[in-house]
Amino acid sequence: MKRRILATVLSAATIAATMTGCGGSSSPAAPAPAAGGDSGAASSSGVQEIQWMFWDDLNATSDLISLGYKDTIERFNKDYEGKYHVTAVTTNLEEYYSKLNALVAAGETPDVFIVSPGPNLTDYVEPGIIAPLDDYLAKDGWKDTFTSDAVFSQQTYDGKIYAVPLNTAAACCFYNTEMFEKAGAKVPTNWDEMIDTCDKLQAAGYTPVTISAGTAWCLSMVAGYLCEAEGVDLAKLADGSASWEDGKLEAAANKLVQFSQYFQRTAAGDTNDVATANFYNEEAAILIQGSWAIGQINGENPAFEDKCGVFQFPGVSRVIAKSDSLAMSATTKYPEASAAFIKYFTDDTAQKYTAEVGGKIPVTKVQYDAEKAPAQLAYVMDVFSGASGTFGFYNESMPTTETGAHFDDTMVAVFLGDMTPAQAATDMEEYYKANCRK
Amino acid sequence: MDRLLRNKAAIVVFMAPAFILFTLVLFIPICQSVYYSFCDYKAITQPVFIGLDNYKAMLSDKTLGFAIKNSLFFLVFSCVSQLIVGLLYAGLLTNINKGRNLFKNIIYLPCVLSSAALGLLWMFIFSPKLGINQIIEKFGGEGPLWLMDTTGTIILPMWVIAFVSLWQYVGQSMMLYMAQISGISKSLMEASYIDGCTKPMTFRYITLPLIRPMVATAMSLNAIGSLKFFDLIFNMTEGGPNHRTEVLATHLYQQGFKYFKYGYASAIGVLLLVMCLLVTLFINKVVKTEQYEM
Amino acid sequence: MDNTITAGGPANGSGSSSSKVIEEKKKKLTPVQIIIYIFLIAVAVIYLAPLFWVFNVSFKTNREIFTAPFALPKDFTFENYTFAWTAGKLGISTLNSFIVCVITLILSMFIGSMAAFGIGRMRWKLSKLCMTYFLTGMMIPVHCVLIPLFTRFAKVGLSNNLLGLILPYLTFALPITIFIMTGFFESMPNELIECACMEGANIFDIFFRICLPLGKTGLFVTGLMTFVGNWNELLLAMVFISDDTKKTLPVSLSKFVGPYNTNYSQMFAAIIIAIIPTIIVYCAFSNQIVDGLTAGAVKG
Repeated sequence: MKRRILATVLSAATIAATMTGCGGSSSPAAPAPAAGGDSGAASSSGVQEIQWMFWDDLNATSDLISLGYKDTIERFNKDYEGKYHVTAVTTNLEEYYSKLNALVAAGETPDVFIVSPGPNLTDYVEPGIIAPLDDYLAKDGWKDTFTSDAVFSQQTYDGKIYAVPLNTAAACCFYNTEMFEKAGAKVPTNWDEMIDTCDKLQAAGYTPVTISAGTAWCLSMVAGYLCEAEGVDLAKLADGSASWEDGKLEAAANKLVQFSQYFQRTAAGDTNDVATANFYNEEAAILIQGSWAIGQINGENPAFEDKCGVFQFPGVSRVIAKSDSLAMSATTKYPEASAAFIKYFTDDTAQKYTAEVGGKIPVTKVQYDAEKAPAQLAYVMDVFSGASGTFGFYNESMPTTETGAHFDDTMVAVFLGDMTPAQAATDMEEYYKANCRK
Repeated sequence: MDRLLRNKAAIVVFMAPAFILFTLVLFIPICQSVYYSFCDYKAITQPVFIGLDNYKAMLSDKTLGFAIKNSLFFLVFSCVSQLIVGLLYAGLLTNINKGRNLFKNIIYLPCVLSSAALGLLWMFIFSPKLGINQIIEKFGGEGPLWLMDTTGTIILPMWVIAFVSLWQYVGQSMMLYMAQISGISKSLMEASYIDGCTKPMTFRYITLPLIRPMVATAMSLNAIGSLKFFDLIFNMTEGGPNHRTEVLATHLYQQGFKYFKYGYASAIGVLLLVMCLLVTLFINKVVKTEQYEM
Repeated sequence: MDNTITAGGPANGSGSSSSKVIEEKKKKLTPVQIIIYIFLIAVAVIYLAPLFWVFNVSFKTNREIFTAPFALPKDFTFENYTFAWTAGKLGISTLNSFIVCVITLILSMFIGSMAAFGIGRMRWKLSKLCMTYFLTGMMIPVHCVLIPLFTRFAKVGLSNNLLGLILPYLTFALPITIFIMTGFFESMPNELIECACMEGANIFDIFFRICLPLGKTGLFVTGLMTFVGNWNELLLAMVFISDDTKKTLPVSLSKFVGPYNTNYSQMFAAIIIAIIPTIIVYCAFSNQIVDGLTAGAVKG
């Protein structure tokens, strides 16, 4: 009798399981296309249908760069009507990677998707999830339209390019020219002058620097610049030919502690947006931030554009740069369509928009109208062209995403006084020994 | 009738939906979770068995250290504070007649509100330039950075969050104690008064022992609740500053859905599960004693 | 928010209907009781002041919040509310929350009481074991099954799908439902069922026509617990749902308000929108809700 019950229960379980399975497949796959308009084009009619995954809702966003991408999609679908068609799958930024990874794990990698260079990109290169793009770049002189081969440096693995950068943003010091004038402060060119400037600003009653330690990478960006000034070499640290405990990180961390006395009082908990708001609301004189903040600053306080100057972080010759990049799935059915689609993001129309409206640095040799672009972009371009080279965000230049986060956290700990600079160096070395060098 | 109640087919029909759901959505995933905790499993790769490595990695995970410490702090704090404050409220409310329901309902109100919303609300109240600090400013002082300070063994933000959780959930304990106190027979109370007991003495010698079983119930509810703690912290500090207010649940969420270390996050989940089971067993062993006739 | 007090009012005390009783009580008001009242009023202020504060500032402009934090708003505008409602997508998420909670509520009462009847009334050997199996579910924190469920649901198309929320919500509501309902069914007199048996009712008649209607109180208690719990659930909803149009209320609120924002007044409006439905329902039925939830907790 018992056996019969068991059998009944089991068969019922099987039926239920199949039913759930059916329910799953009959309702369209998890990521219902969120944007992109008519997606009905069936492949039977000869149209090659591809999917593009992106981290902002194209129909609701006010971000100028995202809106530019939306235009690009519309142009692509119009120009290739009847041949290719792209549908955008969108999430918001925080959930982007979790959703993308769920799709990859389910074997439904989107044909083209956006990804940050660094360990995030490495995660997709190493298991062979994305395809190298060299062949496509070599065709029709596509690669020659880019400003230089150096723009691909963060996307290159073993000599092969795995992603195409769309635009570049550089991390600079934004400053309030009015406050500088009133305090009699000058734009600093080296570290001592920076401290001197901050002293003058403080003496004049201003908060010299606004920064976010609540959003750890903001503080860590400054730490990255300070490390660069000390000559820290991340590649050598990763392969073990250099040690974090060689005094360079300690010196950089000491400077960070020295610098922290000029931060706003609430720096420990302020998030990125709050810290940026402190700047455009004229509560602090200096903001160290990526040039993507230009759109936010001018958007929130248009009157501030005239008062906002830009200078390079003093004491370093290279600048921190970051680019949005597109990668192509290794298992896509339509590589030609996908490559053609990626190419649309780097054509003149899209790149002009990037500079003139989006306020980011274009990656191609496009001629754009500097008059139309935000005033700060010209300053950022000056900084960018005056620099001897670029390097990535520290947290995106380390072996894994988590190592980067650990560096961020360590720098915040130094700032909070939870760790001395020497302890921070020891801690980083131990972390690298345990997790990064094999 | 007996035949009717022994009808196997009917039993299967009654039990099947719950049993299947429970097995598919709870039991099998728990087993998977335990298995994953022994695997190297990143979101985009297949799980690979690596033995105890995830558990070994826990030993050197500083954030996990904070998380365990904070979870235990919440556990102890909520058990003790809810016991004391809950009993206090219950004791006071049973001693008044007019307005008892009103006060009871006010104190219970936060229990039914979304802790996500209340977490956000309190985040603003304790933010540097709003709420409490505006009041302090009015009297000429400068308020502390409630949710950002990192000095001391138990940092200020932890006390703040602990206070908010007490504020939100003490109504539950209070009601449990009130229900039990009102169940104590009047004659027992009167007998004690006749014997010359004062009210506090009655409370000490009659009420307290009689509500002991309920103390166990309320405590295990508090204990498990505090181990599962997520919403308030997620919305008040997100584990910051610098992971100092992280608890097991927020750490698991971060490891799993920010760094996609599914294997490691599963190991944290197993740790959480074991702690929940141990705490429940412990409280029921230590606090719960024989039931008295009331 | 005055409602909280006035609505609680009529439910006051055991009996204030006749003035004689009041006089008697006034006489009895000892100094100790006065101190108790003062203390309780202070406590009530701690409980209500934050809610009043956020309600007040939600009508102000961002600037006013800092310049005149405690004054009444200069001119009542609902601009903050309209913005929060539209930009925060709180309307659609309220609807989503409602759909998810109601479906879960109905299913959990139905499936749960069926199982409870099977355990509490039917006669079979493994019933005790089965009960233990369900009861272990009460000790399991939802975090432990988060990852397996997420990966599984992503594969079968249940992630980003309200059904993917209903299933775990339902499952986690079952143990307590089964536990409480089993108690109710067990305590029902045998004679009832015997009677029905004599009249030729089959087992399903007995369940649907006799036992279920008699277990109304239990259903109310469990339903209430399920509904309140799921209405406020954040973690699962945050992990499983990423589409803005499918988010539930706590998730939309957290994403809208979040720490990455500086438009305080709109966020306060969003908080009020999120809690006001619960407060209204609570004010109307506070006694039943409090007693119901307590009864549930006692049994649990």
